[in-house]
Amino acid sequence: MTTGGGPDLEISRAWLVDPAAGREGPGEIVVRDGILTAVTWLSGADADGIGPEGVVVAPGFIDLHTHLREPGNEDAETVASGLAAAAHGGFTTICAMPNTSPALDEPSVYVRIMGAADASGSPVELLAHGAVTVGRAGEQLAAMGELADVGVVGFSDDGSPVRSAPVFRAALAYAGALGLPIVEHAEESSLTKDAEANDGYVATVLGLRGWPVAAELTAVARALAILGDVVLDEPGARLHLTHVSTAVSLDLIRLARERGLPVTCDVTPHHFAMSDDWVAGARRWAWEAVDGTGIARDPWADGALVAPPYSTSVRVNPPLRAAEDAVACLTAVADGVADAIATDHAPHTEVDKAVEFGAAATGISGLETALGVALAAVDADRLPLLRAIEALTVGPARVLGDRTRRAGSVGLVEGAPADLVVFDRTERWTVTTDALLSRGKNTPLLGMDLAGRVLLTMAAGRIAYEAPDA
Amino acid sequence: MTIEAVPSVAIPAVDAIPGTKPVPWRHRHLLDVAGLSAADLDLVMRTTDAMREVLARPIAKVPALRGRQVTILFYEASTRTRVSFEVAAKNLSADVVNIAAASSSVSKGESLVDTVRTIEALGAHMLVMRHSVSGAPYLAADTFGGSVLNGGDGWHAHPTQALLDLYTIRERLPGGSLEGRKVVILGDLLHSRVARSNIWTLTAAGADLWLCGPPTLVRGFEAWAGRGAASGRRFHVTTSVEEALRDADVVMALRIQRERMAAGLLPSLREYAARYGLTSERLAVARPDAIVMHPGPMNEGVEIAADVAAGVQSVITDQVTNGVAVRMAILYLLAGTHADRSGAA
Ligand SMILES: [Zn+2]
Repeated sequence: MTTGGGPDLEISRAWLVDPAAGREGPGEIVVRDGILTAVTWLSGADADGIGPEGVVVAPGFIDLHTHLREPGNEDAETVASGLAAAAHGGFTTICAMPNTSPALDEPSVYVRIMGAADASGSPVELLAHGAVTVGRAGEQLAAMGELADVGVVGFSDDGSPVRSAPVFRAALAYAGALGLPIVEHAEESSLTKDAEANDGYVATVLGLRGWPVAAELTAVARALAILGDVVLDEPGARLHLTHVSTAVSLDLIRLARERGLPVTCDVTPHHFAMSDDWVAGARRWAWEAVDGTGIARDPWADGALVAPPYSTSVRVNPPLRAAEDAVACLTAVADGVADAIATDHAPHTEVDKAVEFGAAATGISGLETALGVALAAVDADRLPLLRAIEALTVGPARVLGDRTRRAGSVGLVEGAPADLVVFDRTERWTVTTDALLSRGKNTPLLGMDLAGRVLLTMAAGRIAYEAPDA
Repeated sequence: MTIEAVPSVAIPAVDAIPGTKPVPWRHRHLLDVAGLSAADLDLVMRTTDAMREVLARPIAKVPALRGRQVTILFYEASTRTRVSFEVAAKNLSADVVNIAAASSSVSKGESLVDTVRTIEALGAHMLVMRHSVSGAPYLAADTFGGSVLNGGDGWHAHPTQALLDLYTIRERLPGGSLEGRKVVILGDLLHSRVARSNIWTLTAAGADLWLCGPPTLVRGFEAWAGRGAASGRRFHVTTSVEEALRDADVVMALRIQRERMAAGLLPSLREYAARYGLTSERLAVARPDAIVMHPGPMNEGVEIAADVAAGVQSVITDQVTNGVAVRMAILYLLAGTHADRSGAA
């Protein structure tokens, strides 16, 4: 691989993954002046010795769910640090969530963060969701039309659900007419008051207040029921359920789609790879935490507890679920019920995490580890590589429609500005606070090795991230 | 090193400065009972025997912790447990510092980490803490250079209570063995750190353990019984008092708190008393020599009838006395793990 001073690049003898074309295989790419000028698929003797376990070239990843903390909590993340973290993770398009302070519920906040993105000089594409309601308070609709005019890609009160069902119904219809989805954080809050960890075996043993599966299922059912009602009048209405964490919710979503409802969803790397065993101190992947029949093992019985319990790095909303649910989330990625892998990147300061478990801020810093976690599932033969990359690229692109500058060109498309990630599956890297470019160092993966070091990320024909020694 | 090291030299050992005699105890902190082996439990029981002998002396005091500072940090009001720890520490000649922190400071004001740093800077070697949030002692242990002793955290654990309960039961049962003995924990399991810790110690001791309470207050324990069985932590969960108490050897009633009505978990205290209260009529189906326990403080007439609490089967005052001895034993054992950094002469 050669990278010159300008945006010229040639990568020969790599494994190309192009989910837009439904294709992966040995190949070469050439970038000239930032334009992807040639994509060559190799075959026969030319392809000898090139496999998917080496250097991989894929379209730049798209994250539908990223928390930047600007404005309001720049100690945890700024727009600039978040974009740098995105590029380090292989993401070239991210969607900022509106739960900033103030909330992104009217255009000035949107203009402000887009200004910060421009000022950062990062070529990573920043998109943003607007709030559904003023101040995310769940009562009065935010300036949805004005927000659509300036360019938001959807609406969400994320951090919380849209509390009132009638307001949710109105929002679905109003956003539908604007051609935008409601991105719903499905949680029935009356069932999760003071909740600390997934309601189940681990929470019972640790004496943590249970966060029931029913809280998500109830909210998913409500959202789907209302969607079914709204589409009768507003066929443009669309619902995107984010960070779905339970098997039963995914079953319901599958059923709703079979019935033709316009619903999409995403799952996070932590929900498909980690289980509530991690709260007890286990650090094994979810698929290693179930026995041959798919039933969760007992972490207290089989030596799985390797870290102290109650680490606030695993406190997240929705909570890490039982291993069976985590495996169901991974299956949903593999079979396409989950359209996208979204990070729910939620950076926090150390101050907000160095407190009692139940008092800690919820969230995991996830942009930079998403690829490595997905590759762990690939390496375990739980997820095909092509499907993993699809869920990080064309899947989320489908949810965004024409609101990304990459609409229609998410793939290895000749003639388009280079928007791609190059990573080496033979290289493992250690997750350390220094290695993370995000200000949020809050991840339970600290100290662990992940596969697939990112060597290069290009966005809009420019270099967004380049490994120091690549 | 053998486990017999302590009993064979019982009194001399506890009279001596820890660290001068090898003690086969490897836990710097006591945060939970889940990590204690059968040998650990046995050592605690034997050391408690030695402490009971100390308590029987005219002057119940040994110099074991002379020069050590024990700080007692309680974020929840509990006179009984606090005083028990204080008496235990003073019997071992430790310097005791008491800090009562309002529970509101959990969310506001100085963080637990800052508080623990301050306590350490003020010279504490051991920190006894009680906190309303499950797991809080782990956060303290992560910061504190000495030993942290969990005096109760949220719903999670109350290690010294479980150990004193185990000691009290062993003392009363013929042969001192719980193997196959039917032990019932009756009441509000859901919110009980006492129950959660007792599950570990009683199942480890081989008891036939039964958890009994109203359906709203035993929630989640069926899942624990199902999953834990694979690792030998077997117990039964029932909402039937009759089934639980029949032929029981030990009955432990738990405190019911008024907040449970406000939370919609129980219709009324009266109804609880009528359906789950430990009365002499109910107790009649247990074995005639069954013992009655309660971790205190009691609501007499609610979870336990006054005549049962004061009756011949009650060992509730023994629990209080044994609590001091067990806490002396734990302080002594923990101190032995960091004798090299002590300021003791
Ligand atoms: Zn959310």
